[in-house]
Amino acid sequence: MSDPTVARYSKGKRPEFYADPAMDEAMSMIMVLCSELFVLRERLDTFEAIAAEKGVMLSDEIDSYEPTQELAEQREARKQEFFDRLFYVANKRAAELATQDTSGRYESVLKSIAEE
Amino acid sequence: MLNTFQQKRHAMLPETTHDESSRQEFVKSFKQYVQNRMLPNLFPAYSAQLAQFKKQHDRLPKDRREIRKIMVGDPGFRTYASANRISQELLWESVLTSIERQLPDLNSKAKSFSAASSAELLIDPDFETPRYVTALDIHCMPGGYAGEVCEGDVSTGALYDRGVYLYAMGYMGPHNDDLGRSVCNYVKRNLPGFTPKNILDMGCTVGHSTLPFKEAFPEAEVTGIDVAAPQLRYAHARAKALGAEVSFQQRDAANTGYEDNSFDLIVSHILLHETSGKAMPQIFKECHRILKPGGVMIHADLPPFDHSDLFSEFILDNETYYNNEPFWGPMRDMDQIQLAMDAGFTADQIAFDQAPMAILEFAAAHEKGYEEDAVAAVADREYEAGEFAPGGGWEVLIAHKSKEAGGAA
Repeated sequence: MSDPTVARYSKGKRPEFYADPAMDEAMSMIMVLCSELFVLRERLDTFEAIAAEKGVMLSDEIDSYEPTQELAEQREARKQEFFDRLFYVANKRAAELATQDTSGRYESVLKSIAEE
Repeated sequence: MLNTFQQKRHAMLPETTHDESSRQEFVKSFKQYVQNRMLPNLFPAYSAQLAQFKKQHDRLPKDRREIRKIMVGDPGFRTYASANRISQELLWESVLTSIERQLPDLNSKAKSFSAASSAELLIDPDFETPRYVTALDIHCMPGGYAGEVCEGDVSTGALYDRGVYLYAMGYMGPHNDDLGRSVCNYVKRNLPGFTPKNILDMGCTVGHSTLPFKEAFPEAEVTGIDVAAPQLRYAHARAKALGAEVSFQQRDAANTGYEDNSFDLIVSHILLHETSGKAMPQIFKECHRILKPGGVMIHADLPPFDHSDLFSEFILDNETYYNNEPFWGPMRDMDQIQLAMDAGFTADQIAFDQAPMAILEFAAAHEKGYEEDAVAAVADREYEAGEFAPGGGWEVLIAHKSKEAGGAA
Protein backbone atom coordinates (compact mmCIF):
# COMPACT_ATOMS: atom_id res chain seq x y z
CA MET A 1 0.00 0.00 0.00
CA SER A 2 1.37 3.39 -0.90
CA ASP A 3 1.58 6.16 1.68
CA PRO A 4 -1.51 8.35 1.96
CA THR A 5 -1.36 11.71 0.22
CA VAL A 6 -3.00 14.88 1.54
CA ALA A 7 -5.32 17.22 -0.37
CA ARG A 8 -3.36 20.07 -1.98
CA TYR A 9 -6.20 22.28 -3.29
CA SER A 10 -9.02 23.77 -1.25
CA LYS A 11 -12.57 23.14 -2.39
CA GLY A 12 -14.08 26.46 -3.58
CA LYS A 13 -13.59 28.46 -6.80
CA ARG A 14 -10.49 30.62 -6.62
CA PRO A 15 -11.32 34.31 -7.22
CA GLU A 16 -9.45 36.10 -10.01
CA PHE A 17 -8.22 39.56 -9.14
CA TYR A 18 -6.94 40.79 -12.50
CA ALA A 19 -8.53 41.32 -15.91
CA ASP A 20 -6.11 38.81 -17.39
CA PRO A 21 -5.98 35.48 -15.50
CA ALA A 22 -2.35 35.18 -16.52
CA MET A 23 -1.61 38.07 -14.16
CA ASP A 24 -3.05 36.10 -11.25
CA GLU A 25 -0.77 33.23 -12.16
CA ALA A 26 2.20 35.55 -12.46
CA MET A 27 1.59 37.12 -9.04
CA SER A 28 1.52 33.72 -7.41
CA MET A 29 4.66 32.62 -9.25
CA ILE A 30 6.48 35.75 -8.20
CA MET A 31 5.64 35.21 -4.54
CA VAL A 32 6.71 31.58 -4.67
CA LEU A 33 10.00 32.67 -6.20
CA CYS A 34 10.43 35.25 -3.46
CA SER A 35 9.79 32.57 -0.87
CA GLU A 36 12.38 30.23 -2.34
CA LEU A 37 14.89 33.04 -2.56
CA PHE A 38 14.61 33.57 1.18
CA VAL A 39 14.66 29.85 1.94
CA LEU A 40 17.95 29.66 0.08
CA ARG A 41 19.30 32.80 1.64
CA GLU A 42 18.52 31.55 5.12
CA ARG A 43 20.02 28.16 4.44
CA LEU A 44 23.24 29.82 3.35
CA ASP A 45 23.21 32.08 6.39
CA THR A 46 22.80 29.05 8.63
CA PHE A 47 25.43 27.05 6.78
CA GLU A 48 28.09 29.71 6.81
CA ALA A 49 27.39 30.66 10.41
CA ILE A 50 27.73 27.06 11.63
CA ALA A 51 30.88 26.51 9.58
CA ALA A 52 32.43 29.75 10.76
CA GLU A 53 31.72 28.76 14.37
CA LYS A 54 33.78 25.64 13.68
CA GLY A 55 36.57 27.67 12.10
CA VAL A 56 35.85 26.55 8.50
CA MET A 57 35.68 29.26 5.86
CA LEU A 58 33.72 27.78 2.96
CA SER A 59 33.66 30.29 0.13
CA ASP A 60 36.82 28.96 -1.66
CA GLU A 61 35.68 25.35 -1.61
CA ILE A 62 32.20 26.22 -2.87
CA ASP A 63 33.63 27.62 -6.10
CA SER A 64 35.49 24.42 -6.99
CA TYR A 65 32.89 21.86 -5.92
CA GLU A 66 31.55 19.22 -8.41
CA PRO A 67 28.19 17.65 -7.39
CA THR A 68 28.00 13.85 -7.16
CA GLN A 69 25.37 11.92 -9.18
CA GLU A 70 23.31 11.51 -6.00
CA LEU A 71 23.30 15.23 -5.34
CA ALA A 72 22.54 15.98 -8.99
CA GLU A 73 19.45 13.75 -8.75
CA GLN A 74 18.35 15.37 -5.51
CA ARG A 75 18.65 18.77 -7.12
CA GLU A 76 16.57 17.77 -10.13
CA ALA A 77 13.81 16.28 -7.94
CA ARG A 78 13.79 19.44 -5.83
CA LYS A 79 13.35 21.57 -8.95
CA GLN A 80 10.44 19.46 -10.20
CA GLU A 81 8.68 19.85 -6.83
CA PHE A 82 9.40 23.56 -7.01
CA PHE A 83 7.59 23.79 -10.36
CA ASP A 84 4.51 22.19 -8.77
CA ARG A 85 4.42 25.07 -6.30
CA LEU A 86 5.25 27.65 -8.96
CA PHE A 87 2.32 26.64 -11.17
CA TYR A 88 -0.12 26.30 -8.26
CA VAL A 89 -2.82 28.55 -9.73
CA ALA A 90 -2.83 26.97 -13.15
CA ASN A 91 -3.01 23.52 -11.56
CA LYS A 92 -5.83 24.55 -9.22
CA ARG A 93 -7.81 25.95 -12.16
CA ALA A 94 -7.46 22.63 -13.92
CA ALA A 95 -8.57 20.80 -10.77
CA GLU A 96 -11.63 23.07 -10.53
CA LEU A 97 -12.53 22.34 -14.14
CA ALA A 98 -12.12 18.65 -13.47
CA THR A 99 -14.47 18.76 -10.46
CA GLN A 100 -16.92 21.45 -11.73
CA ASP A 101 -16.04 23.63 -8.71
CA THR A 102 -17.42 26.83 -10.26
CA SER A 103 -18.21 30.39 -9.14
CA GLY A 104 -21.87 29.44 -9.67
CA ARG A 105 -21.48 26.71 -7.06
CA TYR A 106 -19.70 29.13 -4.70
CA GLU A 107 -22.58 31.63 -5.03
CA SER A 108 -25.17 28.96 -4.36
CA VAL A 109 -23.29 27.79 -1.25
CA LEU A 110 -23.07 31.38 -0.01
CA LYS A 111 -26.83 31.71 -0.39
CA SER A 112 -27.83 28.31 0.90
CA ILE A 113 -25.48 28.29 3.92
CA ALA A 114 -26.97 31.54 5.18
CA GLU A 115 -30.44 30.09 4.79
CA GLU A 116 -30.03 26.53 6.05
CA MET B 1 7.49 46.24 15.46
CA LEU B 2 9.42 43.13 14.39
CA ASN B 3 7.34 40.01 14.87
CA THR B 4 9.52 37.03 15.77
CA PHE B 5 6.77 35.14 17.65
CA GLN B 6 7.32 31.38 17.59
CA GLN B 7 4.99 28.45 18.09
CA LYS B 8 6.16 26.22 20.91
CA ARG B 9 7.07 22.72 19.73
CA HIS B 10 5.15 19.80 21.15
CA ALA B 11 5.38 16.11 20.36
CA MET B 12 2.34 16.02 18.02
CA LEU B 13 3.39 18.99 15.91
CA PRO B 14 4.86 17.86 12.57
CA GLU B 15 8.61 18.34 12.44
CA THR B 16 10.03 20.70 9.84
CA THR B 17 13.27 20.64 7.90
CA HIS B 18 15.28 23.82 7.66
CA ASP B 19 13.72 24.69 4.27
CA GLU B 20 10.16 23.83 5.30
CA SER B 21 10.57 26.01 8.33
CA SER B 22 12.02 28.87 6.24
CA ARG B 23 9.13 28.58 3.79
CA GLN B 24 6.62 28.77 6.65
CA GLU B 25 8.38 31.71 8.24
CA PHE B 26 8.40 33.47 4.88
CA VAL B 27 4.61 33.15 4.66
CA LYS B 28 4.21 34.47 8.18
CA SER B 29 6.42 37.46 7.36
CA PHE B 30 4.48 37.98 4.13
CA LYS B 31 1.17 38.01 6.02
CA GLN B 32 2.59 40.53 8.47
CA TYR B 33 3.60 42.71 5.52
CA VAL B 34 0.16 42.42 3.90
CA GLN B 35 -1.44 43.53 7.18
CA ASN B 36 1.03 46.28 8.12
CA ARG B 37 1.93 47.76 4.77
CA MET B 38 -0.50 46.71 2.04
CA LEU B 39 -3.79 46.97 3.95
CA PRO B 40 -3.37 50.70 4.77
CA ASN B 41 -2.93 51.35 1.04
CA LEU B 42 -6.64 50.63 0.62
CA PHE B 43 -7.69 53.82 2.38
CA PRO B 44 -6.22 56.30 -0.12
CA ALA B 45 -7.31 53.99 -2.94
CA TYR B 46 -10.88 54.13 -1.66
CA SER B 47 -10.79 57.91 -1.22
CA ALA B 48 -9.94 58.28 -4.90
CA GLN B 49 -12.61 55.81 -6.03
CA LEU B 50 -15.16 57.41 -3.71
CA ALA B 51 -14.57 60.90 -5.11
CA GLN B 52 -15.28 59.57 -8.58
CA PHE B 53 -18.38 57.70 -7.38
CA LYS B 54 -19.78 60.83 -5.71
CA LYS B 55 -19.20 62.85 -8.84
CA GLN B 56 -21.06 60.28 -10.95
CA HIS B 57 -23.94 59.47 -8.60
CA ASP B 58 -24.17 62.50 -6.31
CA ARG B 59 -24.46 60.26 -3.23
CA LEU B 60 -22.46 57.86 -1.03
CA PRO B 61 -22.40 54.07 -1.55
CA LYS B 62 -25.36 52.52 0.24
CA ASP B 63 -23.76 49.34 1.59
CA ARG B 64 -20.61 47.18 1.60
CA ARG B 65 -21.74 45.34 -1.55
CA GLU B 66 -21.82 48.57 -3.51
CA ILE B 67 -18.33 49.42 -2.23
CA ARG B 68 -17.17 46.01 -3.46
CA LYS B 69 -18.40 46.90 -6.96
CA ILE B 70 -16.43 50.15 -6.82
CA MET B 71 -13.26 48.55 -5.49
CA VAL B 72 -12.84 45.25 -7.36
CA GLY B 73 -11.26 46.97 -10.33
CA ASP B 74 -9.02 49.27 -8.32
CA PRO B 75 -5.35 48.40 -8.97
CA GLY B 76 -4.38 48.90 -5.32
CA PHE B 77 -7.17 46.68 -4.12
CA ARG B 78 -6.29 44.00 -6.65
CA THR B 79 -2.72 43.88 -5.45
CA TYR B 80 -3.78 43.69 -1.81
CA ALA B 81 -6.50 41.10 -2.30
CA SER B 82 -4.42 38.97 -4.64
CA ALA B 83 -1.40 39.07 -2.28
CA ASN B 84 -3.62 38.19 0.67
CA ARG B 85 -5.09 35.22 -1.17
CA ILE B 86 -1.66 34.02 -2.31
CA SER B 87 -0.31 34.25 1.25
CA GLN B 88 -3.18 32.02 2.36
CA GLU B 89 -2.41 29.46 -0.36
CA LEU B 90 1.31 29.47 0.33
CA LEU B 91 0.58 29.08 4.04
CA TRP B 92 -1.21 25.74 3.64
CA GLU B 93 1.21 24.56 0.98
CA SER B 94 4.19 25.27 3.24
CA VAL B 95 2.73 23.09 5.99
CA LEU B 96 1.32 20.30 3.80
CA THR B 97 4.75 19.34 2.51
CA SER B 98 5.98 18.53 6.01
CA ILE B 99 2.76 16.70 6.96
CA GLU B 100 2.66 14.47 3.90
CA ARG B 101 6.25 13.42 4.53
CA GLN B 102 5.42 12.33 8.09
CA LEU B 103 1.81 11.23 7.69
CA PRO B 104 1.93 7.54 8.62
CA ASP B 105 4.12 8.30 11.67
CA LEU B 106 1.95 11.23 12.71
CA ASN B 107 -1.17 9.07 12.76
CA SER B 108 0.44 6.31 14.79
CA LYS B 109 1.94 8.86 17.18
CA ALA B 110 -1.54 10.31 17.74
CA LYS B 111 -2.86 6.81 18.44
CA SER B 112 -0.18 6.19 21.09
CA PHE B 113 -0.74 9.51 22.87
CA SER B 114 -4.50 8.96 22.86
CA ALA B 115 -4.14 5.44 24.23
CA ALA B 116 -2.05 6.85 27.12
CA SER B 117 -4.70 9.42 28.07
CA SER B 118 -7.27 8.64 30.75
CA ALA B 119 -9.70 11.19 29.24
CA GLU B 120 -12.25 10.06 26.68
CA LEU B 121 -11.93 10.41 22.91
CA LEU B 122 -15.36 9.85 21.39
CA ILE B 123 -15.54 9.42 17.61
CA ASP B 124 -19.02 8.65 16.30
CA PRO B 125 -18.79 6.40 13.20
CA ASP B 126 -22.34 7.36 12.14
CA PHE B 127 -21.82 11.10 12.55
CA GLU B 128 -23.08 13.26 9.70
CA THR B 129 -20.86 16.29 9.15
CA PRO B 130 -22.94 19.46 8.60
CA ARG B 131 -22.84 20.80 5.06
CA TYR B 132 -21.54 24.18 6.23
CA VAL B 133 -18.25 22.41 7.00
CA THR B 134 -18.05 20.26 3.86
CA ALA B 135 -19.44 22.52 1.06
CA LEU B 136 -16.28 24.66 0.85
CA ASP B 137 -12.87 24.12 2.43
CA ILE B 138 -13.12 26.91 5.02
CA HIS B 139 -10.29 29.44 4.92
CA CYS B 140 -8.98 27.57 1.87
CA MET B 141 -7.48 24.80 4.01
CA PRO B 142 -7.07 21.84 1.62
CA GLY B 143 -9.16 18.93 2.85
CA GLY B 144 -11.21 21.18 5.14
CA TYR B 145 -11.69 20.44 8.83
CA ALA B 146 -13.16 17.01 8.32
CA GLY B 147 -11.13 15.64 5.40
CA GLU B 148 -9.60 12.21 5.99
CA VAL B 149 -7.15 10.48 3.67
CA CYS B 150 -6.83 7.23 5.65
CA GLU B 151 -8.16 5.52 8.75
CA GLY B 152 -7.44 7.27 12.04
CA ASP B 153 -6.19 10.29 10.09
CA VAL B 154 -5.07 13.43 11.98
CA SER B 155 -3.48 15.26 9.05
CA THR B 156 -5.97 18.13 8.80
CA GLY B 157 -5.69 18.56 12.60
CA ALA B 158 -1.92 18.91 12.29
CA LEU B 159 -2.42 21.24 9.32
CA TYR B 160 -4.78 23.41 11.35
CA ASP B 161 -2.46 23.52 14.38
CA ARG B 162 0.50 24.84 12.41
CA GLY B 163 -1.75 26.85 10.06
CA VAL B 164 -3.33 28.82 12.90
CA TYR B 165 0.09 29.86 14.17
CA LEU B 166 1.03 31.13 10.70
CA TYR B 167 -2.37 32.68 9.94
CA ALA B 168 -2.41 34.46 13.30
CA MET B 169 1.28 35.35 12.86
CA GLY B 170 1.88 34.08 16.39
CA TYR B 171 -0.57 36.61 17.90
CA MET B 172 -2.37 33.62 19.43
CA GLY B 173 0.68 32.74 21.52
CA PRO B 174 3.14 29.83 21.62
CA HIS B 175 0.27 27.35 22.02
CA ASN B 176 -2.22 29.20 19.79
CA ASP B 177 -4.35 29.61 22.88
CA ASP B 178 -4.65 33.37 23.38
CA LEU B 179 -8.40 33.28 22.73
CA GLY B 180 -9.05 30.61 25.37
CA ARG B 181 -6.66 32.27 27.82
CA SER B 182 -8.28 35.66 27.29
CA VAL B 183 -11.75 34.22 27.92
CA CYS B 184 -10.48 32.43 31.07
CA ASN B 185 -8.99 35.70 32.32
CA TYR B 186 -12.27 37.41 31.52
CA VAL B 187 -14.27 34.86 33.53
CA LYS B 188 -11.90 35.08 36.50
CA ARG B 189 -11.84 38.89 36.53
CA ASN B 190 -15.48 39.59 35.75
CA LEU B 191 -17.30 36.72 37.43
CA PRO B 192 -15.71 36.59 40.90
CA GLY B 193 -16.75 33.55 42.89
CA PHE B 194 -17.85 31.67 39.75
CA THR B 195 -16.11 28.29 39.81
CA PRO B 196 -17.55 26.15 37.01
CA LYS B 197 -17.40 22.39 37.60
CA ASN B 198 -18.47 21.32 34.11
CA ILE B 199 -17.11 23.27 31.17
CA LEU B 200 -17.96 22.69 27.50
CA ASP B 201 -15.95 24.15 24.59
CA MET B 202 -17.99 24.04 21.38
CA GLY B 203 -16.28 23.82 17.98
CA CYS B 204 -12.97 23.14 19.71
CA THR B 205 -11.04 21.85 16.63
CA VAL B 206 -7.59 20.84 17.97
CA GLY B 207 -8.28 22.14 21.47
CA HIS B 208 -6.18 25.34 21.32
CA SER B 209 -8.72 27.26 23.40
CA THR B 210 -9.94 24.24 25.38
CA LEU B 211 -6.77 23.50 27.36
CA PRO B 212 -6.54 26.92 29.10
CA PHE B 213 -9.84 26.12 30.85
CA LYS B 214 -8.31 22.99 32.39
CA GLU B 215 -5.36 25.11 33.51
CA ALA B 216 -7.56 27.91 34.91
CA PHE B 217 -10.09 25.54 36.54
CA PRO B 218 -8.08 22.38 37.35
CA GLU B 219 -10.90 20.87 39.39
CA ALA B 220 -13.41 21.21 36.56
CA GLU B 221 -14.34 18.56 34.03
CA VAL B 222 -13.51 20.12 30.66
CA THR B 223 -14.90 18.73 27.40
CA GLY B 224 -14.29 19.86 23.84
CA ILE B 225 -16.75 19.00 21.06
CA ASP B 226 -16.41 19.37 17.32
CA VAL B 227 -17.93 17.95 14.13
CA ALA B 228 -14.57 16.96 12.58
CA ALA B 229 -13.02 13.65 13.61
CA PRO B 230 -9.41 14.39 12.47
CA GLN B 231 -9.42 17.59 14.55
CA LEU B 232 -10.65 15.72 17.63
CA ARG B 233 -8.14 12.88 17.28
CA TYR B 234 -5.35 15.41 16.99
CA ALA B 235 -6.77 17.46 19.88
CA HIS B 236 -6.88 14.45 22.18
CA ALA B 237 -3.31 13.45 21.31
CA ARG B 238 -2.01 17.01 21.47
CA ALA B 239 -3.54 17.52 24.92
CA LYS B 240 -1.77 14.40 26.20
CA ALA B 241 1.48 15.51 24.54
CA LEU B 242 1.14 18.77 26.48
CA GLY B 243 0.40 16.90 29.70
CA ALA B 244 -3.35 17.63 29.84
CA GLU B 245 -6.16 15.12 30.12
CA VAL B 246 -9.18 16.61 28.44
CA SER B 247 -12.11 14.77 26.88
CA PHE B 248 -12.86 15.38 23.20
CA GLN B 249 -16.12 14.23 21.63
CA GLN B 250 -17.58 14.28 18.13
CA ARG B 251 -20.86 16.12 18.57
CA ASP B 252 -22.80 18.83 16.76
CA ALA B 253 -23.07 22.03 18.84
CA ALA B 254 -26.59 22.52 17.50
CA ASN B 255 -27.71 19.11 18.76
CA THR B 256 -25.23 17.81 21.34
CA GLY B 257 -27.19 14.93 22.80
CA TYR B 258 -26.32 16.08 26.34
CA GLU B 259 -28.96 16.12 29.04
CA ASP B 260 -30.66 19.34 30.14
CA ASN B 261 -28.78 21.39 32.76
CA SER B 262 -25.39 19.68 32.22
CA PHE B 263 -22.87 22.54 32.20
CA ASP B 264 -21.90 25.53 34.35
CA LEU B 265 -19.96 27.21 31.56
CA ILE B 266 -20.26 26.85 27.78
CA VAL B 267 -17.75 28.63 25.59
CA SER B 268 -16.92 28.82 21.90
CA HIS B 269 -14.04 30.53 20.13
CA ILE B 270 -14.34 31.71 16.51
CA LEU B 271 -16.98 29.03 15.94
CA LEU B 272 -20.21 30.88 15.13
CA HIS B 273 -19.05 32.57 11.93
CA GLU B 274 -18.16 29.15 10.50
CA THR B 275 -21.66 27.71 11.00
CA SER B 276 -24.83 28.66 9.09
CA GLY B 277 -27.96 30.79 9.23
CA LYS B 278 -30.00 27.92 10.67
CA ALA B 279 -27.32 26.25 12.82
CA MET B 280 -26.35 29.42 14.73
CA PRO B 281 -29.75 30.12 16.36
CA GLN B 282 -30.02 26.40 17.11
CA ILE B 283 -26.61 26.51 18.88
CA PHE B 284 -27.84 29.35 21.11
CA LYS B 285 -30.94 27.31 21.97
CA GLU B 286 -28.86 24.23 22.68
CA CYS B 287 -26.57 26.27 24.97
CA HIS B 288 -29.57 27.46 26.95
CA ARG B 289 -30.97 23.94 27.20
CA ILE B 290 -27.78 22.24 28.43
CA LEU B 291 -26.64 25.07 30.72
CA LYS B 292 -27.45 24.66 34.39
CA PRO B 293 -29.63 27.42 35.87
CA GLY B 294 -27.22 30.26 36.72
CA GLY B 295 -24.77 28.93 34.12
CA VAL B 296 -22.89 31.15 31.66
CA MET B 297 -22.53 31.07 27.87
CA ILE B 298 -19.64 32.93 26.23
CA HIS B 299 -19.07 33.06 22.47
CA ALA B 300 -15.85 34.76 21.41
CA ASP B 301 -16.41 35.70 17.80
CA LEU B 302 -17.31 38.61 15.56
CA PRO B 303 -19.70 41.34 16.72
CA PRO B 304 -22.55 42.28 14.35
CA PHE B 305 -21.97 45.02 11.78
CA ASP B 306 -23.44 48.29 13.03
CA HIS B 307 -23.21 49.91 9.55
CA SER B 308 -21.34 52.94 10.97
CA ASP B 309 -18.29 52.28 8.81
CA LEU B 310 -19.23 50.67 5.51
CA PHE B 311 -15.67 50.65 4.16
CA SER B 312 -14.44 48.62 7.15
CA GLU B 313 -17.37 46.27 6.62
CA PHE B 314 -16.31 45.86 3.01
CA ILE B 315 -12.71 45.04 4.03
CA LEU B 316 -13.84 42.54 6.67
CA ASP B 317 -16.22 40.96 4.19
CA ASN B 318 -13.30 40.08 1.91
CA GLU B 319 -13.03 36.87 3.92
CA THR B 320 -16.49 35.90 2.68
CA TYR B 321 -15.50 36.20 -0.96
CA TYR B 322 -11.78 35.42 -1.04
CA ASN B 323 -11.16 33.03 1.83
CA ASN B 324 -13.97 30.46 1.57
CA GLU B 325 -15.80 31.85 4.60
CA PRO B 326 -19.39 31.81 3.28
CA PHE B 327 -21.01 32.76 6.60
CA TRP B 328 -18.50 35.45 7.70
CA GLY B 329 -20.44 38.42 6.32
CA PRO B 330 -24.02 37.08 6.77
CA MET B 331 -23.25 36.16 10.41
CA ARG B 332 -22.35 39.77 11.14
CA ASP B 333 -25.72 40.91 9.81
CA MET B 334 -27.53 38.78 12.41
CA ASP B 335 -28.82 40.23 15.69
CA GLN B 336 -27.02 38.02 18.20
CA ILE B 337 -28.67 39.62 21.24
CA GLN B 338 -32.07 38.79 19.74
CA LEU B 339 -30.92 35.24 18.97
CA ALA B 340 -29.89 34.79 22.61
CA MET B 341 -33.26 36.15 23.74
CA ASP B 342 -35.06 33.77 21.37
CA ALA B 343 -33.04 30.95 22.93
CA GLY B 344 -34.41 31.79 26.37
CA PHE B 345 -31.83 34.18 27.87
CA THR B 346 -33.36 37.35 29.33
CA ALA B 347 -32.43 40.69 27.77
CA ASP B 348 -30.70 42.12 30.85
CA GLN B 349 -28.50 39.00 31.07
CA ILE B 350 -26.99 39.31 27.57
CA ALA B 351 -24.14 41.64 26.61
CA PHE B 352 -21.24 42.19 24.25
CA ASP B 353 -17.92 42.90 25.93
CA GLN B 354 -14.22 42.75 25.20
CA ALA B 355 -11.79 40.23 26.69
CA PRO B 356 -8.29 41.80 26.64
CA MET B 357 -5.71 39.69 24.75
CA ALA B 358 -3.50 37.54 26.97
CA ILE B 359 -0.52 38.15 24.65
CA LEU B 360 1.42 40.24 27.21
CA GLU B 361 1.60 37.14 29.39
CA PHE B 362 3.75 35.39 26.79
CA ALA B 363 6.51 37.99 27.03
CA ALA B 364 6.26 37.85 30.83
CA ALA B 365 6.77 34.08 30.62
CA HIS B 366 9.83 34.61 28.35
CA GLU B 367 8.35 32.59 25.51
CA LYS B 368 10.57 32.34 22.44
CA GLY B 369 10.20 35.28 20.07
CA TYR B 370 7.66 37.11 22.25
CA GLU B 371 9.68 40.26 22.81
CA GLU B 372 8.15 42.81 25.16
CA ASP B 373 7.95 45.69 22.66
CA ALA B 374 6.38 43.47 20.00
CA VAL B 375 3.64 42.05 22.26
CA ALA B 376 2.96 45.52 23.67
CA ALA B 377 2.53 46.80 20.10
CA VAL B 378 -0.07 44.08 19.46
CA ALA B 379 -1.89 44.63 22.75
CA ASP B 380 -2.01 48.43 22.48
CA ARG B 381 -2.50 49.03 18.78
CA GLU B 382 -5.24 51.06 17.14
CA TYR B 383 -7.21 48.46 15.22
CA GLU B 384 -7.84 48.80 11.52
CA ALA B 385 -10.45 46.62 9.84
CA GLY B 386 -8.81 43.65 8.17
CA GLU B 387 -6.07 43.18 10.74
CA PHE B 388 -5.90 39.92 12.60
CA ALA B 389 -7.67 40.27 15.99
CA PRO B 390 -9.31 43.46 17.18
CA GLY B 391 -7.20 46.13 18.90
CA GLY B 392 -5.94 44.52 22.07
CA GLY B 393 -8.99 42.36 22.77
CA TRP B 394 -11.43 39.73 21.60
CA GLU B 395 -15.15 40.37 21.29
CA VAL B 396 -17.27 38.17 23.55
CA LEU B 397 -21.01 37.68 23.70
CA ILE B 398 -21.84 36.71 27.27
CA ALA B 399 -25.21 35.52 28.58
CA HIS B 400 -26.29 34.17 31.97
CA LYS B 401 -29.03 31.58 32.22
CA SER B 402 -31.52 32.66 34.85
CA LYS B 403 -31.25 30.81 38.16
CA GLU B 404 -34.97 30.09 38.01
CA ALA B 405 -34.86 28.76 34.44
CA GLY B 406 -36.00 25.24 33.80
CA GLY B 407 -34.43 22.74 31.41
CA ALA B 408 -35.78 22.19 27.93
CA ALA B 409 -37.60 25.09 26.32
